[in-house]
Amino acid sequence: MANLFVDGKYGDRGIILGNEAIARGALEAGIGYASMYPGTPASEIIIALDKNKKNIKNIYTEFSLNEHISLHGAIGASWSGIRSLCAMKNVGLNVASEPAHFLAYTGVKAGLVLAIGSDPGAPSSSNEQDDRWYSLHTYMPIIEPSNIQEAKDFTKKAFDISEQFSFGIILMAPSRLCHNAGILHFGDCSDRDLISGNFKRDPENYLNLFNLAVKNHKKYLERNELLKKYVYNSELNMIIDAQISSTKSSRIGFISSGVIYSHLIEALNFINADYYKILKLGITFPLSEELISKFLDNLDEVVIVEEAEGFLEFQIKKIAFEIGYHGKIHGKNVFKAYGELTIDDVIKGVAGFLGKAAPEYFTAAVNKSEILSDKIPQRMGTFCVGCPHRGTIYSILKASGYSNTDSKDRDVVIAGDIGCYTLGLLPPYNAMDWLTCMNSGLSIGQAISIADKSKKIIALVGDSTFYHSGIPVLMNAIQNNSNILYIILDNSWTAMTGHQKTPSTKTDIDGTPIPNSVNLKDLLKSLGVSYIKTVDPNSVKRFSVIIKEALKEKGLKVIIAKRECILQEERRKKIKNIKSKLENSSEIIYELQKERCVKCNECFVELACPAIQSAKENGTNNGKEYYFIDPVSCVKCGVCYEVCPNSAIRKVEFNLHPTVNTAIMR
Amino acid sequence: MKKFNIAITGLGGQGIITAGTILKNAVLDSVMQDVSGSERRGGAQREGYVEAFVKYIFYDSIAELQNPRKNMHSPMIASGDADVLISLEPLETLRAASYVNKNSVIIFNTNPHIPISVRMGKNKYPELDDILESLYGITDNVFYYDFNKLSLENFGSIISCNVISLGVLFAKTNIPVSKNVIENILLKGSKAKDNLKAFNIGLNL
Repeated sequence: MANLFVDGKYGDRGIILGNEAIARGALEAGIGYASMYPGTPASEIIIALDKNKKNIKNIYTEFSLNEHISLHGAIGASWSGIRSLCAMKNVGLNVASEPAHFLAYTGVKAGLVLAIGSDPGAPSSSNEQDDRWYSLHTYMPIIEPSNIQEAKDFTKKAFDISEQFSFGIILMAPSRLCHNAGILHFGDCSDRDLISGNFKRDPENYLNLFNLAVKNHKKYLERNELLKKYVYNSELNMIIDAQISSTKSSRIGFISSGVIYSHLIEALNFINADYYKILKLGITFPLSEELISKFLDNLDEVVIVEEAEGFLEFQIKKIAFEIGYHGKIHGKNVFKAYGELTIDDVIKGVAGFLGKAAPEYFTAAVNKSEILSDKIPQRMGTFCVGCPHRGTIYSILKASGYSNTDSKDRDVVIAGDIGCYTLGLLPPYNAMDWLTCMNSGLSIGQAISIADKSKKIIALVGDSTFYHSGIPVLMNAIQNNSNILYIILDNSWTAMTGHQKTPSTKTDIDGTPIPNSVNLKDLLKSLGVSYIKTVDPNSVKRFSVIIKEALKEKGLKVIIAKRECILQEERRKKIKNIKSKLENSSEIIYELQKERCVKCNECFVELACPAIQSAKENGTNNGKEYYFIDPVSCVKCGVCYEVCPNSAIRKVEFNLHPTVNTAIMR
Repeated sequence: MKKFNIAITGLGGQGIITAGTILKNAVLDSVMQDVSGSERRGGAQREGYVEAFVKYIFYDSIAELQNPRKNMHSPMIASGDADVLISLEPLETLRAASYVNKNSVIIFNTNPHIPISVRMGKNKYPELDDILESLYGITDNVFYYDFNKLSLENFGSIISCNVISLGVLFAKTNIPVSKNVIENILLKGSKAKDNLKAFNIGLNL
């Protein structure tokens, strides 16, 4: 697959992920610069280019420290005449909103596309924001592909539109498209030998001050009007005429875009009603008044099928008012404005609106699942087996005395933040008091330490989040003598999005040393932090004592909980084992001795390592329940061994001699 | 147009996405074939719920393939619209039971993975008999095996559960794809020998 991604030509077909299709579209368009701060569901867009960069001529890829930098980078490349792709998750645009608000003022030189992965239903995000609304003030045009083929084709096209009208173009893709995998028909790539940059001064466009800014504001409003004329004729939009002559049905129409459009088409087929007039919008900002007017003509009622708050409905109702349309426009009165709009929601909404019945098997399944849902315990994510964050969260709970409680009256405030450790807010830990945006932990916590002096504050941050925008927050806390304990969970990687490097990464996964990595302790010292302790988070007893001590001290305290992400550590081991198979080393295993275990739940519930499991004796339902360590999933971190108060967990160490191995192999 | 929808569910690390990708690669022979289907990836490696949809589409004519009313497909499977549900965890079978109808086939792994809420004593993990009763209340076509045990016995790890389940898919359903195509895909992939063996174990269950 990787080869087809790089070498695919017109006529080739292959299975590809939606995100990879976006990246491929950019490759076909001849990009030379690609940047992002990783974020689900968009990460694979730049990962696809980055992991193949050795085989792609004239491409630069960057996992920037944050979205603000990343978008600025794409702008700089565009101004140098290099087509650039920037990607981020929905909330990333909050961070990058500042450059986004200047992009229309300055315009672009080579095409610039900003691919945004939105996350309706928030399976991987802390909010559901619909970034399309930003364009009402950034004037960045928005393109919405509906499937994998369009993800590639529309991305490619977006670069042309960007250059023609001098706007950065937003390519919107929800998780359901980013992580849709299916067939892509490849196109040809443009000649990569031709990619080379040449920055030229352009003070008329790039300088924005006083009347210069006003002049650029006027210019982009004019360009936006020109773009609307293009939108009217663009093949990215499509009107499907009604295929029915019956008076009433032929006067009802549907408008939709993106993945929701694919739900609509399937829903109409599902209820045998595939004959209505439909407007598919591939460009959802700006809309063309002429196009909307042409579609609404002869319709009495129109239903806008879209996710979230109704961005299309807002724009179309404005146009309808201006053109004096007298029919009815439906949207959020039919479809919910929160959560993911699923295929089921669209079937129910469309069938309900048209007064048609969904197939019996659909209704039966919906009813059945409502009955079943009571029986099904929720399954929420937790830390991986051996994750160092489990040690950190456990130690904090032990030090503060809040194990396994979700009480609202706590004297120790625990400020959450964004990263794998966020999972500590879930049961059984309940170890976080808020979760909003990047670096909200320390900044809100610092103010609480001033506003409510009776509380002790612990703020958490991961290394990637810290380097993203945490340094100014920390400096603010130092400058203002905050009384707070700041724990930096340094696992050396941006782990949750697939292990991109952070400034803390000292050696790559294959053992290659990484130049320019940051010594976190030295950095903290130079910022003026005097209380710094470094601890292994898996040494939970020691760690909780250190937390207790730190909480007694006044002022700003920093603890670095330093241990590499277990997934990366395990990968390193695998690579090493392949290199030296018969290595003479000792092996450790942990065993839970059932005769000594009193089921105190310290390991099973408080620590809640998934490798510690329960079973019934004799394998029968009525047998006595006992706990055991699953040898398949255990990674021998030893934390359960440390926390067991009854010495029921045994550490067995034995040496692996090459001779013994040979004997076994025979 | 003929369609065949497969929902695959389970937990992070069980190879759900991989199983989906193997199946998707089986329809690259003709332009009259299409496949799509979204994946839920968030829970990968973290005990979370993972699912992959495989939606096969076989067009009857070029006209149908070019008809915008017919050639666009949702990445999701609607309630009751899956021909097959494969689940690698019993509780997740129950959670995904909304995808199936009375003619669907359910293939699932009986090896449970207890969620945190059950550990904490807040919920009860349903007994296998209760799960089966609920599933048989929907369809008679339920096939269940301890894939973990089969994988451990044959390969020394639980890594092959997903490919064994694909074997069962070809043995117990009328999936409109030839099993030889899958065998060829496995042959070209990594760990080809183990995967072919696992596929065959499933075929003979």
